[in-house]
Amino acid sequence: MSALAFLGLPTWENFKPFIVTGLALGGVYAVSGVGMVVLYQTTGVLNLAFGAVGALGAFIAWEMINNTGLPTWVAILTCIGFGGVVTLTYGVIFGPPLAARDPLTKAVATLGLALILLGAMSWIWSDKARSLDLSTSNSGFEVNGVLVNWTQVIAMGFAVGLTIVTVIYLRYTRTGTAMRALADDREITATLGVPVRRVEASAWFVSGCVSGGAGLLLGNLVGLDAATLTFLVISSLAAALIARLNSVVVTLIAGLAVGLVNAMLAPILSVSEYRDMSPFIMATIALLWLSRKDIRVTGVR
Amino acid sequence: MHVNPLSGRKRPATALCAICAAVLLSLSACGSSKKDTSSDSGGSAKSSDTSSGGGSSTSSTTASKCGLGNNKPASGTPVKLGAIVTKQPGTDFTDITGGAKAYFDCVNANGGINGRPVSYLVETEQTDPGQIASLAKKLAETEKVVAIVGNISLIECSVDHKYWEAKGYKEIDAGIAPECWSTPNSAPVNMGPRYSSDGAVQTLIRKGVKKIAFIQSNVPGTGYIKAGPEIVAKAAGVPITTLTANVPVQDANSVAIKAVQAAGPGGGVVLNFTPPEALKILQGAQRQGLQNQVKWGCSTPCNTDFLAKALGSAWNGKLFVNAELAVTDDPGPDSTLYRNIISKYAPKIPLGSFSQMGFIQARIVTDALMKVKGPITVKTANDAIAAVKNFKTDILCKPFYYGQAPLHIPNNTDLTTTPKDGKMVKDEDCFAISDAEPDIAKVRDIEKQQGAS
Repeated sequence: MSALAFLGLPTWENFKPFIVTGLALGGVYAVSGVGMVVLYQTTGVLNLAFGAVGALGAFIAWEMINNTGLPTWVAILTCIGFGGVVTLTYGVIFGPPLAARDPLTKAVATLGLALILLGAMSWIWSDKARSLDLSTSNSGFEVNGVLVNWTQVIAMGFAVGLTIVTVIYLRYTRTGTAMRALADDREITATLGVPVRRVEASAWFVSGCVSGGAGLLLGNLVGLDAATLTFLVISSLAAALIARLNSVVVTLIAGLAVGLVNAMLAPILSVSEYRDMSPFIMATIALLWLSRKDIRVTGVR
Repeated sequence: MHVNPLSGRKRPATALCAICAAVLLSLSACGSSKKDTSSDSGGSAKSSDTSSGGGSSTSSTTASKCGLGNNKPASGTPVKLGAIVTKQPGTDFTDITGGAKAYFDCVNANGGINGRPVSYLVETEQTDPGQIASLAKKLAETEKVVAIVGNISLIECSVDHKYWEAKGYKEIDAGIAPECWSTPNSAPVNMGPRYSSDGAVQTLIRKGVKKIAFIQSNVPGTGYIKAGPEIVAKAAGVPITTLTANVPVQDANSVAIKAVQAAGPGGGVVLNFTPPEALKILQGAQRQGLQNQVKWGCSTPCNTDFLAKALGSAWNGKLFVNAELAVTDDPGPDSTLYRNIISKYAPKIPLGSFSQMGFIQARIVTDALMKVKGPITVKTANDAIAAVKNFKTDILCKPFYYGQAPLHIPNNTDLTTTPKDGKMVKDEDCFAISDAEPDIAKVRDIEKQQGAS
């Protein structure tokens, strides 16, 4: 009897497929988390509408693919572009008036956008069963007896690629340097002649495009359902929280870990029903651990 | 790499993180439900008594008729009928009352109920027991409806059944709560998630599976529902594992793998979910290449062309869905009339089990009320409804009846459908839900005693 069986757990063979599904979902959580962290660092806004924007983009893509006969690549580009435009529009209209408000107010304002978009999706598309088919899900390869499809590979690759590109961009480009400067001190950055509005607009747009891409991937990996896609931002947020909203690399690792842990709990029947809590348990443990020095200094009040 | 490598930032990130997490957690808990071109409105053609029953195909393509079928608009004092239906974000059953209203509109355009038009009052509710109780009182005491037809609610049967019993109303409804099938004044045209899941389990057992994994959404009432498949599988000597998945399903691939692993080689997986959630799991299975590893079954909600279309041809003949009503393109007279009136009176409502349920309820009640001699009152109307017996229709597998009994499960014989190129088609003819279920056994005895079967 194996050690796993002795502990009443599924066998390793049973666990294997969950690694792939967990890493794929974790990849999308990481992508979303990176988009949120970059926007937060640049503008001070925690965008809780990230999932809703991606979801609406995915619905538009579904509509284009199924009811207009346009090529899939046009629908994909439209979804990504839609995410960018909607997020940019929100940022341009509401960013400046809210710039001086505290971060919580800014975050709650984006929650308003999320609920408006969610309502619009429910109104336009109702809750009928839909599927966003991508050809990459219909083919794949086997790894150690586990089937891996290309959408899952793209999800993981997108996460790693986006993180690398973001790191390079922030370190070696002028806009990236300006974004880092904004993260440190908005007032001083502005007095140094950095075009704050333009830099923030670029962050809104890029973050929105990332939300469109994440919405497409989730629409395929999870299903095209407005509420599900909108609230999947929660798991992404957990990844961003573990990174304390300031490290894209930690966000990547945390996103993958959140997806992996969540999936690996699925075959353990005794805890399977409670696995949706796992992102927050992980975030809570991480925040307590990372705050231990502050707690020691100030004491718990 | 840290975007902000300096430690001098002033944003209260940790506090914000905690507050946002709490807000989102609360919200997520809250977040979480073609047409025939014929112009025949049903004003003509032969009586439903000529239909085949049995849910099987007939050679007839002639529609039944609406009411008197005389093509004359009804006039005079309306006959008031009422319904209570759940309509809230994520759960909207108004296609059922929409189907009933379409039939009543057709009746009104064809002589009404012996000349009187039907006034159909539909009240929507949001799963609030106080609201539901007050709506029942409003319909009975303020609007003075003579009968309740088309009710479909998550909790209405639980809340109102004693009120209807006290007031003498004999509901014809579409059930969800257990009280819809276990109380004397409710007779649903459907059989609900428990017995429909039983039917799906029976089908897979007939197809030779060695073990069943029954998986359903993790919502209140799962204990009542899963007891049925457990009883049926045990009676057949087939091992069964019951599982739940939180909805909305956020990791469909994992849920599909878990169910397939629980069923094991040569096993079968039976789903009891709403169509969007079932679709996620089935597509998760497809993405993992699991659709051929086990046999797949599903309770009635999967019996919709919308789901079949979303699944595509990869699932042709690989999913077996318990269908409580005939397929929508059945050529029988009632099915033909149903398609015609939905096309004419409710073109925005899709063809499917929901609108079929509303249609057939309205047709049964109309037929009963047309037999009332003299004034149509609450007493005469509900006496007529209670007297319904041997109501033959091609939409149900066997004739509908009401009668006097402590419980009513008149629809206890189902068929099986399967997806084929974007449509649900019949896979298996009508079969009886297992009388290993105690209440089904009771109902069969009552049917024999009352000659209702």
